[in-house]
Amino acid sequence: MNNRKKEKAELSENNNLQPHYWRSLAELHNDPNFKEASRHEFLEGVTNDFHPSQLPSFSRRKFLALLGASAALAAAGCSDYHDKGEIVPYTSKPEEILPGKANYYASSARDGSGILIKTREGRPIKVDGNSDHPVNRGKVSAQVQADILNLYDSSRIKNPLKRRAGNAFTETSWKDVDNEIIKELSNAGGKEIAIITKRIISPATKKVLDGFAQKYPGSKVYSYELFSNVIRNKAWQKCYSSSQYPLIKWDEAKIIISLDADFLGTDGDRIENSRLFAIGRDVKNLNKFNRLYTIEGNMSITGMNSDYRIRLRPDAQLELIMGIINELGYGANSVKLNDVIRKYSLPGKTISLLLDDVRKNKGKAIFYAGRTLPESIHIAVNYLNEKIGAVYLYRTDAANVELIPLSDDSDWQQLIDKMNNSRVAATIHFDSNPVYHLPKDLGYENALLKVSTVISLTETENESSVKANYTLPINHPFEAWGDVKIRTGFYSLQQPVIAPIFNTRQKEAVLLTWLSGNPDSYNDSLYHQYLRNHWQNEIYPTISSVLDFKQFWYGALHDGIVLSKDKPIQHGSINSDILKSKQPEETSTDRFIISLRESYNVGDGQFAGNGWLQELPHPVSKITWDNYAALSAVSAERIGVKNDDLIEINIDGRKLELPIFIQPGAADDTITIELGFGRKSAGVVGTEVGFNANVLLSKNDGISKWIYSASSVQKVKGRYNLVTAQEHHAFDNELLKDIAQNRGIIREGTVEQYKKNPRFLHEKEKHELHSFYTTFEYTGVKWGMAIDLNKCLGCGDCIIACGSENNIPVVGKDQVAKGREMHWLRIDRYYSGSPEEPVVSNQPMLCQHCDQAPCENVCPVTATTHSPDGLNQMVYNRCVGTRYCSNNCPYKVRRFNFFNFRDHFKSGYQEDSLFSLIYNPEVTVRSRGVMEKCTFCIQRIAEARQEAINENRSLKGSDVKTACQDACPTNAIVFGDMNDKESELTKFRNHELGYYLLEETNSRPNVTYIAKLRNTHPEKA
Amino acid sequence: MKNSLLDYILRIRLPITIFVIIASFTLTYFASRAERDGVGYMPDQPINYSHKLHAGDLQIDCQYCHVGVEKSRHAIVPAVSVCMNCHTVARKDSPEIIKLTEYYNQGKALPWKRVHKVPDYAYFSHSVHVNRGIDCTVCHGEITQMEKVGQMSSFTMANCLDCHRNIHQKLPDLAGINKGPDYCWACHR
Repeated sequence: MNNRKKEKAELSENNNLQPHYWRSLAELHNDPNFKEASRHEFLEGVTNDFHPSQLPSFSRRKFLALLGASAALAAAGCSDYHDKGEIVPYTSKPEEILPGKANYYASSARDGSGILIKTREGRPIKVDGNSDHPVNRGKVSAQVQADILNLYDSSRIKNPLKRRAGNAFTETSWKDVDNEIIKELSNAGGKEIAIITKRIISPATKKVLDGFAQKYPGSKVYSYELFSNVIRNKAWQKCYSSSQYPLIKWDEAKIIISLDADFLGTDGDRIENSRLFAIGRDVKNLNKFNRLYTIEGNMSITGMNSDYRIRLRPDAQLELIMGIINELGYGANSVKLNDVIRKYSLPGKTISLLLDDVRKNKGKAIFYAGRTLPESIHIAVNYLNEKIGAVYLYRTDAANVELIPLSDDSDWQQLIDKMNNSRVAATIHFDSNPVYHLPKDLGYENALLKVSTVISLTETENESSVKANYTLPINHPFEAWGDVKIRTGFYSLQQPVIAPIFNTRQKEAVLLTWLSGNPDSYNDSLYHQYLRNHWQNEIYPTISSVLDFKQFWYGALHDGIVLSKDKPIQHGSINSDILKSKQPEETSTDRFIISLRESYNVGDGQFAGNGWLQELPHPVSKITWDNYAALSAVSAERIGVKNDDLIEINIDGRKLELPIFIQPGAADDTITIELGFGRKSAGVVGTEVGFNANVLLSKNDGISKWIYSASSVQKVKGRYNLVTAQEHHAFDNELLKDIAQNRGIIREGTVEQYKKNPRFLHEKEKHELHSFYTTFEYTGVKWGMAIDLNKCLGCGDCIIACGSENNIPVVGKDQVAKGREMHWLRIDRYYSGSPEEPVVSNQPMLCQHCDQAPCENVCPVTATTHSPDGLNQMVYNRCVGTRYCSNNCPYKVRRFNFFNFRDHFKSGYQEDSLFSLIYNPEVTVRSRGVMEKCTFCIQRIAEARQEAINENRSLKGSDVKTACQDACPTNAIVFGDMNDKESELTKFRNHELGYYLLEETNSRPNVTYIAKLRNTHPEKA
Repeated sequence: MKNSLLDYILRIRLPITIFVIIASFTLTYFASRAERDGVGYMPDQPINYSHKLHAGDLQIDCQYCHVGVEKSRHAIVPAVSVCMNCHTVARKDSPEIIKLTEYYNQGKALPWKRVHKVPDYAYFSHSVHVNRGIDCTVCHGEITQMEKVGQMSSFTMANCLDCHRNIHQKLPDLAGINKGPDYCWACHR
């Protein structure tokens, strides 16, 4: 009795110690609707559409179904049921293709990252990273993986289009188009031919453009990026009078202070940064642990992963950094840190810890300012970094390369003036979308009306192509040749893995045809030959290869990259007077700050038509299929709005209406909006998704190009339904309230705690779990997974990899709203602490493949059972769709096909015959009425097992890598055989920080989570 | 009274019972005979190719044509060009070879009728079976004796499992072979 009392007291004490985790404000404030919902597997009303009263008594569909069924019956009666169809072999089989075996080709993606494209029987089905590539080292972002969907997009333009009278486009032939355009270009006279492109990363493309300028002397290249490093680089040039802002040795930094810089998200090369950052998050090497301070205006991926987070509006960050400079004694002006702290009510304790860390870690600490911040703050940060010795963390072995500098504001203004004065004969949109991307007040769209020939080279229709006279379809990167130079030290190559699916051409070949002046000069290998010659004459001689060119070339294509020797990088020395006489202007705090950021999912909008990326939940808010104005609860109160209310933002007359979302952890008076949404012409999927916040951009910088001070922000009439996947599939929290810590879904500690007591996580575990089932002996391989939450950043690359590997359909916004998303893998994001200053924990959640799986016991038709290698099997053919298993799964990881989503989404968009080429032939395409879930990539396990048998050896755990593991940029996911005592998995499984979810249900999961350690300052621990 | 009951049983109940028994037996028999699973199915092919001649009399190795069988899930039907390796010279004038040459020269698809089929939801792999030493004939029959190929054994799950579970009775020559897996995800996924 006494004992029990003591235990109870301990429990309640623990209860107070444990942070309370919450997923959304609704949960934090005990919204009865949320509580009710968390008790159920499915959202309320998930089956409403299927209630008999909701179904029409005799619909068209039913009629057709019956008609079809009776026809099939009749046909079955007449035909020979033995007929099994045909087998049609190749007439002559390409040497490298063996049906049933995948081929892999090295190539480069749109952004220049090195990829390996998996093809089956000649069709690309999956994209992975090229492990030889020095930047991305075998990992690629969600966008690059999802790009395969763009290849099979039925909204692609299939033939050259020409605008006729009456403004309609009609299909025409390449030859006619070439003839007409060559004539118009030749007749340009003294007028300009403007080629508008995004950043050029290919040396051969640059050469084509140079050649074009020679043939047509009036031509000029303008390049832009919606988000770029221009401000950061300009500041660097002012400080160091040398090229560009250097790359950072994130892996060697002990203290990282990020100022609105989402370097683990959209700022810079995310994949590389994540990999290097995660080296400092290895629980096996505690001494290397880094400490991340984030100072930011809105919760970002970087903010989620920081040890200390200070929320501060972006325009006030200059004052803070000046205060820090002065406080550290490098002062150049009179800003007092204490005044800044008081003015913005910042956490003084945290800042003093930060200062202490910076003082103690000279040469190992670095400040990093975000690319959207104004130049002044970059200059201050450069100065501070020089003073604290962060120069040591600037990489000298490699630097980014810019082949053609981006056009600056005056270039654009000149172009617009020329266009308006009819001094531009032709504009060529070279795979770019300036009408959508350029600031509206530049007047590009109107100026375009004054240009007689407007040509858009594009894969899909966009805002610029609908204004053009000619819309010319170009090859997808997987159908194209090319080379890439993004970094010193190497080149990478791009090669086609499939012949052009439609009547499209390589964009460079189109220009080459025009510059030859003869439409007949085009042939399918025109650019291939050009590229090869370019390499033979200009790049091969500089490589000093011992091979002859042909061998060298095939080798280079095979590897995808070619190492080159470039000059070592010298940063020069700082102009130490740079900060003299710089006094930050007083920030007026009465106006809202509008901070525009790049979308995590759809980039600058070029992936708007990509259903996978649109449906990928936002890494922080988990909202899908939309953008929104993120603000703090205080700001929302100030405007008088609640979630989903609409506001109108006015910046000097540029207005936008959009819904708000109260983002825990957002700085007050700061509104953050992601760009890349609200496309007007982006195909079947991408058109009119979200809100076009590009209209807020101006040719005249506000606080910076991407940060403005709002004239007014006010509530407007109406509501909008933002769909978040966050509260779906929430664990039942009722028990959490009672037995609190024993549920321990998220368990965390600090580095100090762990150093003191490595078993701190399991201290309170007392009881043993018993079962009345006999335990099954797993004698052979037993599969298991470990997920290191120290390394998981919550980016979502694994979700896209899983979807691509396992043929997971897109369901659409309306279905996500009903809780019917099909992702087998989700990333749960928990907040703890107060809604103003939340701490974030991420947790990838997938089928736990429990040894004693609750789902298996309840299936009435034994469609889900256990395999002798420890997998929870789901057999689609047996499943009759009772959903009992899902109801009994404590982890809520099972997904039910309420529809045949291929047929259901956008009237059969995914049913297109072209679309079926994307499917992995080793995985069943599930239909309506079937339950499904993570399989641990059983097709990869089966393949590895077959390989082992073929090679007459036994199967090892390391032979198999799951798709999510392959994609994880930080290697947070480990998969393998837990019966192999030497395997990495076993080490993780027996790790002191390892824990299982909902252990008390005795389901004995095979997924181990490694508890997150926060590297808090010892003084506070 | 008693008479009439007996009469009723003999005249009504008995014939109905007998009828039901015979009917269900017949139905079950017809539904489950091997022919229903395709055993004995022997379709006409677009080209009258003889396995007996090539694999039997000429003793050409199976893998000369079915190159995938050791490496891939699919044994694969050879490309037309493989036939033409010999038939640009051999028997050029026979009518079947003239048909074949036509397919090849025109690059036309050659639609062989499919004889063996495992359903789509079963992921059968040729390579693992062949590499474990199981002979082609175990499933496909004495192919070297067939003028025209037909299905010899049933390709049902029961048939697969019969071998997987009783491999040593079925194939006593393969002493070193393990039992085949019999859990769901071995074939279905």
